[in-house]
Amino acid sequence: MLQALADGILTGSIIALGAIGLTLTMGILRFANFAHAELITWGAYMALGVLAITGVFAGPIGPFSFGLPLILATLVAAVLTAALALVVDYLVFRPLRSHTNHMTVVFSSFGVSLLVRMVILLIFGGSAEYYSDELQIAVRLMPGLRVMPDHLFTLGLTLVIVIALHFFLQRTRLGLSMRALAENPDLVRINGIDTRTVVRWTWIIGAALAAVAGVLYGMTVQLRPEIGFQLLLPLFAAAILGGVGNVFGAVVGGLIVGLAESFSVLFIPAGYKMAVPFIILLAVLYVRPSGLFGGMRGGAK
Amino acid sequence: MKKMLLSSVFGLGLMAGAMPAAAQTASCEIPVGAVLSITGSIAAIGKAIGDAGQLAVDQFNEAGGVAGCTAKYVLRDDQGSPNVGVDAAKTLVEIEKAPIVLGAIQSGVTMPILTSVTVPGKVVQISCCSSAPSFTQLAQEGGTDGYWFRTLPTDRPQGVVMANIAKAKDYKKIAVIYVNSDYGVSLARSFKASFEKLGGTVTSMTAYNQEQASYRAEVNSAMQGDPDSLFLIAFPADGATALREWISFGGTQNLLLSNALRADEFVKSVGAKFLTNAVGIDNAQTEGPSVEAFNKAWEAKFGQAPNGPGLHTMYDAAAVALLAMEKAGKPDGTAIRDNIREITQGDGEVIYPGPEGFKKAKELIKAGKPIRYEGATGPISFDANGDVTGPYLIWGVADGKLTTVETWDKMRVADAIAELDK
Amino acid sequence: MSGYIAYLVFFLIVALTYSIVVMGLNLQWGFTGLFNAGVVGFFAIGAYGTAVLTGPDRAELIGGFGLPFPVGVIGGMILSTLAALVVGLATLRLREEYLAISTFGIAISIQLVALNFDTLTGGAQGLTGIPRPLFATFGSPGAYNLFYLGLVATVAAVVYFGLQAALHSPWGRLLKAIREDETAAASLGKNPAMVRLQAFVLGSTLMGLAGGLYVGFIGYVSPMDFLPILTFQIWAMLIVGGSGNNRGAIVGAVGVWALWTMSGFAISRLLPVEYQSQGGAIQVIIIGLLIVLTLLFRPRGLIGEAQSVSRHVS
Repeated sequence: MLQALADGILTGSIIALGAIGLTLTMGILRFANFAHAELITWGAYMALGVLAITGVFAGPIGPFSFGLPLILATLVAAVLTAALALVVDYLVFRPLRSHTNHMTVVFSSFGVSLLVRMVILLIFGGSAEYYSDELQIAVRLMPGLRVMPDHLFTLGLTLVIVIALHFFLQRTRLGLSMRALAENPDLVRINGIDTRTVVRWTWIIGAALAAVAGVLYGMTVQLRPEIGFQLLLPLFAAAILGGVGNVFGAVVGGLIVGLAESFSVLFIPAGYKMAVPFIILLAVLYVRPSGLFGGMRGGAK
Repeated sequence: MKKMLLSSVFGLGLMAGAMPAAAQTASCEIPVGAVLSITGSIAAIGKAIGDAGQLAVDQFNEAGGVAGCTAKYVLRDDQGSPNVGVDAAKTLVEIEKAPIVLGAIQSGVTMPILTSVTVPGKVVQISCCSSAPSFTQLAQEGGTDGYWFRTLPTDRPQGVVMANIAKAKDYKKIAVIYVNSDYGVSLARSFKASFEKLGGTVTSMTAYNQEQASYRAEVNSAMQGDPDSLFLIAFPADGATALREWISFGGTQNLLLSNALRADEFVKSVGAKFLTNAVGIDNAQTEGPSVEAFNKAWEAKFGQAPNGPGLHTMYDAAAVALLAMEKAGKPDGTAIRDNIREITQGDGEVIYPGPEGFKKAKELIKAGKPIRYEGATGPISFDANGDVTGPYLIWGVADGKLTTVETWDKMRVADAIAELDK
Repeated sequence: MSGYIAYLVFFLIVALTYSIVVMGLNLQWGFTGLFNAGVVGFFAIGAYGTAVLTGPDRAELIGGFGLPFPVGVIGGMILSTLAALVVGLATLRLREEYLAISTFGIAISIQLVALNFDTLTGGAQGLTGIPRPLFATFGSPGAYNLFYLGLVATVAAVVYFGLQAALHSPWGRLLKAIREDETAAASLGKNPAMVRLQAFVLGSTLMGLAGGLYVGFIGYVSPMDFLPILTFQIWAMLIVGGSGNNRGAIVGAVGVWALWTMSGFAISRLLPVEYQSQGGAIQVIIIGLLIVLTLLFRPRGLIGEAQSVSRHVS
């Protein structure tokens, strides 16, 4: 029980990081980006690529499995992931946004997600990769609960990022205009805010968070080209559960989805675990489509 | 139009009848079809398996060809998809006119080829790599018309041998984690039944789905019931993921590993130091002159030892098909089917892999004398369902490398099965 | 020569089966603007439904009712309809992308059920020995395939003409009106959500029909037949063929399927050996690019939607 709780919170916090970016793009750019989960994969693999180039030049810090090299690699990966998001937006989404119905954009994101996944497969191959070959042994905190130091780090980092993001959206001019754009785009235009700048920053922030989520995932689990694909449904479930456009909601949604997945295994065969986010999603759509906390815009048309 | 199509179907039958006459001329070619995964998810092993088939065909041609013709190896890619594999097999049978199809690798591809292409087309299909018990079931029900063979042993003997190993190691409570595929499911069931019959307890049977990023939940549920050992049935990549999580969370390092895990990649990903107490099984070639003959030929051609799944069995699949065709004297699926047991059983002169062996076989067949092929996997004998039993080796990890701990020849395997069935 | 014809018959059976799926998708996307990201799920339900209903009785399985083939196919279609209703009813009042996400989810869930619920679906082993309709009646496999091609072609033709009739009916015009301007349609007293739901469910039912035909022909079904890549292939067929046009859907199904089966061969011939294991990825990238580029530069595909402008205009 305790272990399932800990696992659920860990998985949930990684889902939450990914879902924040997704909920922002869904709220502000107004389309369901199927390629968002691929940014997670991309970020994770970019960090791996950077590590391969720089080599491990410093040992691990304290009880963790990683050291300075991975932290630097994560920063580079965040930049590269943001770059990918901006390039894709420039080449595909923006031209389509301007001249077709918005579902074509959604569909094109589906195509883009496949392309990104295949490019990763082509460059890095299909087998599992790890940032560190060292296997970390879990520490027994109390009977029935084992936790790895990396897991605690992941939780801590997620918490810091969420709080920082909260202040960004509440206190800075850019953050406020992002929220405003999500709530009422016409009003924003009248007020002279450059929507293109806001859109650009939405991509950058969403992608950077995805990259961090990817690295954390790769660190606590492993890297595979399919990780994004498998996280897609949990991400959507979390974003919709929390209310589209609502950052705080996405975090709570992520935790709920993570916990539900983790606890489900106690009741149903583990093979069905991947269907749990779908059940949550359906339930939300039937019962409360605007999500637990309502969205900036909500699910209704 | 329809009439024309129908008449051409009849024409096909006429042409098949005319084949033996054509076979007398020396410059003809007989296609030997193969459907394997050259691209797609298991491409990494597919390419080398394809080479093994090519080697057998080349050696046969070196020995003078088959049924008076040159054998032409036609390899098609199934891309790891059943629909593409079925299409590829259909082109082999209809357009290339291949009387045999070798493959496929995954049972999910092999089965639809069998039911929709080879059996209706009266073409022999021999798989190097599909181990699912559903083929045996289909054969028992008469669904294969005898056109189905495989050179890879089914999972049942492996489960029996592994249960015996577990008992010998004095493990009492074993958790089983297995890949949710035909391979994993059947091996897990066979092991559970055998081990329980030997008096052991299986504390849990946990299936995992392939290519997931994390198996923490599966590992946690397998740890329930306090097992003293773990039998992991997996492919290298997923197996490493699951086992890393198992060890990280304090699972026992008394490990039993299935045949597919005998790969350097697996040992490297998990870390050799955690595998010192692990034993694995592989349905592989024991020593022996016929095995040596293959290994040498492989090394001579590719410059490395034939380490990898499916190489020996694919070579034998091709060799058996070619020898049966030689014996039949014509590239006809039904005739090949009826001759496969002729050249693998009985008291005939023993034939080893390689051009010399095949040359000898051709001469003996010409003289009307019986032969018995002993292949890259040792002696082969197909039962009524087209299945083989094979020898096993038990492997371990020492000094970071895969080592062979002991071998079980066919007699010992058969005895163990008989003991259990008593 | 006869071999080529026999292969062609075989190829067309598969391609025309897919063309039925593509026409179903065309109804959803091309005519209604609904994004179904889980095509393979509805196809799989039809296939498994048919297999369970018509398959032979086995001790370890729940199914295996040995029912006649048409009953099996209709059963499979009904199951596909129900699945479409589950996601359709949940999302019809909401923004369209919620339907996309839900269909994506249901496809994954169906794959899981196929893999894990082994007393019903045979699990990873699949269901074997599913009878092929009227197989005993035809002596040779060649004649049988010809018969089956006739069957599939007839069904495809019925679907084609049925859809054409529906699209030229008031209902079809309403569909178009809703896609072009939902608010205007709604202001005329129409219920856009309901019409969209009808189109979505009907399209999914057609996918289930195709699944049943597929099983009847192959005689075997396993989770491997319904990998997510199939959804992508079907989409490629529609986009390249030309969405919004049923002839385009059929042309796309045949053309893209031919391209797909041949490109694997080309890769194994042309690509240097050391890159061959990545050939599958290259194949997907090429066709993925084809889709995205078609969307960007030739959104109407090979045969685009027929312009239907009132003759009173101009």
